[in-house]
Amino acid sequence: MKVKGFFAVIAIAIVGSWLGLFIAVPNVLVLITSFLENDPQGFFHLQFSTAAYHQVFDPLFWRVFLHSFEMSFKAMIICLTIAFPFSYWLCQFSSKVRGWLLFLTIVPFWTNSLVRAYAIKFILGKKGLVNSTLLFIGVIDKPLKLLYSEFAVIFGLVYVLLPFMILPLYASLEKLDKNLLSAARDLGANGLQRMWYIVIPLSMPGILAGCLAVFLPAMGMFYISDLLGGAKNLLLGNLIKTEFLSTQNWPYGAAMSISLIVLMAGMLFIYYKAAQHVQKRGEFDV
Amino acid sequence: MRPIVLLGLAALAFSTSVFANQKVVVYNWSQYIPDGLVAQFEKETGIDVEYSTYESNESMYAKLKLMKSSGYDVVVPSAYFVSKMRKEGMLHPVDKTLIPNLKNLDTNLLNKPYDPNNQYSIPYLWGSTGIAVNGEEIDPKSITSWSDLWNQKFAGDVLLTDDVREVFQIALAIKGYSGNTRNEKEIKEAYELLKTLMPNVQAFNSDAPRMPYLAGDTNIGMIWNGEAWMAKEETKHLHYIYPKEGAIFWVDSFVIPKNASNVKAAHAFINFMLKATSAKKCMEHTGYATPNLAGRALLSNKVKNSPIINPSKEDIERGEFQDDVGDVIQIYQKYWNMLKTGAK
Repeated sequence: MKVKGFFAVIAIAIVGSWLGLFIAVPNVLVLITSFLENDPQGFFHLQFSTAAYHQVFDPLFWRVFLHSFEMSFKAMIICLTIAFPFSYWLCQFSSKVRGWLLFLTIVPFWTNSLVRAYAIKFILGKKGLVNSTLLFIGVIDKPLKLLYSEFAVIFGLVYVLLPFMILPLYASLEKLDKNLLSAARDLGANGLQRMWYIVIPLSMPGILAGCLAVFLPAMGMFYISDLLGGAKNLLLGNLIKTEFLSTQNWPYGAAMSISLIVLMAGMLFIYYKAAQHVQKRGEFDV
Repeated sequence: MRPIVLLGLAALAFSTSVFANQKVVVYNWSQYIPDGLVAQFEKETGIDVEYSTYESNESMYAKLKLMKSSGYDVVVPSAYFVSKMRKEGMLHPVDKTLIPNLKNLDTNLLNKPYDPNNQYSIPYLWGSTGIAVNGEEIDPKSITSWSDLWNQKFAGDVLLTDDVREVFQIALAIKGYSGNTRNEKEIKEAYELLKTLMPNVQAFNSDAPRMPYLAGDTNIGMIWNGEAWMAKEETKHLHYIYPKEGAIFWVDSFVIPKNASNVKAAHAFINFMLKATSAKKCMEHTGYATPNLAGRALLSNKVKNSPIINPSKEDIERGEFQDDVGDVIQIYQKYWNMLKTGAK
């Protein structure tokens, strides 16, 4: 008993200090920086100021925000459309086969996402795989401009983030009680009705978790926009990166990232409320 | 007796290499040194080299500033960053007595305003940003000026570098202003002009600048002359053009950060890079011009006479070297962000 307690303390201490050191402390530093004064000679000046937050309300920030919101949202919807049928299909196999299929889904993601972004560049290029295939079979007679476009950015985001949608969806679909579906069938519900009234509501927490896990990181993936979008279709991450690296206006960069965090927190809150709502309704029905 | 033996042994050990067990941490632009040169330096001097690279002056500067000018022993900033870092007290003075190979350098490239008397910096290579054209698709003779990039037939085709100063210098040169202007009115005019270029812009490239041309994604745009030179190995059709409004010139120099821990080894590294044979290899490999006259003398005629690496006197006179703009960089950056996000 005592030994177990000791290990628990050690485990908690390690996890706690890890989170503290690499998540809490950096975020507090960013928060502090966002309230300092800009100093072109050395990133920031130790003087309280809210100037950086005034800058956040600059139309430029909101334009980039809306555009990256739109691109991330599209990427999220596409991920959901691909991942939902896929996860549902995955659940139809025996648990042994499922394990293998899930494993195969994850394997490509062992390669660094930056390397994969470069690979996409070669595939989408004017003389890349897609264009040369389409030219060969005669669908087009002039190469399409796929690279350096909004399409390429969304394509890259979907590809990089797809497993973050599949995993939570799979987790919630796997738990689905098959008896409910049989019961519904016995009571005369057709396939569409079973999907709409049983599968979707019960997997809602998974859908929401997956959407958040895709949408929020997508807003910050600056290298996807740099490499595939030709640095023209900016994500919020690009703006933050530029302020930190090029302009060296750290308070402004910090204020933007804090604003993004606040926004994310707001969405997590909505998620929490929605999940609660779903749970309550579940209890009610039973 | 015994201590004397020990001393003798110690002296023997030291005589094989004064630098035994020493190291030097080098921070250079990526693809900016020939393969094998670092290994040769290690072999000749016994100094271990820790080598890392950066993609832009800004990220190099941010890192050094953050580390209080320590952690690296040799860095290679462009002239305008030498000037900025010198003024901010981030550099260690160069001890010229430790760099005898300094005699190899062309005095025309020494003692420039960005670092009078080369107190803090020793030039490594210099080059230019001009126009690249794929001769298979576009007649290279039809392109003579930066304003040709505005031609409507290149809609969605033009590649620009992802560098605020370089892109603004194009527009400023067309308008007849200095690429180093600190005048907001002139910068704004350049921005207005660049806005009309945007429909033609395919991408702001952050890859190696020659790659999109080699991959066939683009046929016209900006490129660094060394990249055009390196591309020659893979294609005959990429042409490098010095625009008539003037190309953008730069010099990159070796500097030693203020709080470097291996100052002696840093000098040894710089001295090694200034050897005639090293300089020759650098120029052949990178496609940028060396200020090293002794090194130039060893070059084959093909390299020595290549117009890509060696601009004519008129091209140099028409062009402009980049200089520090101080805080005004934030104004450039503001218009740069507006340009990229398509602000009204």
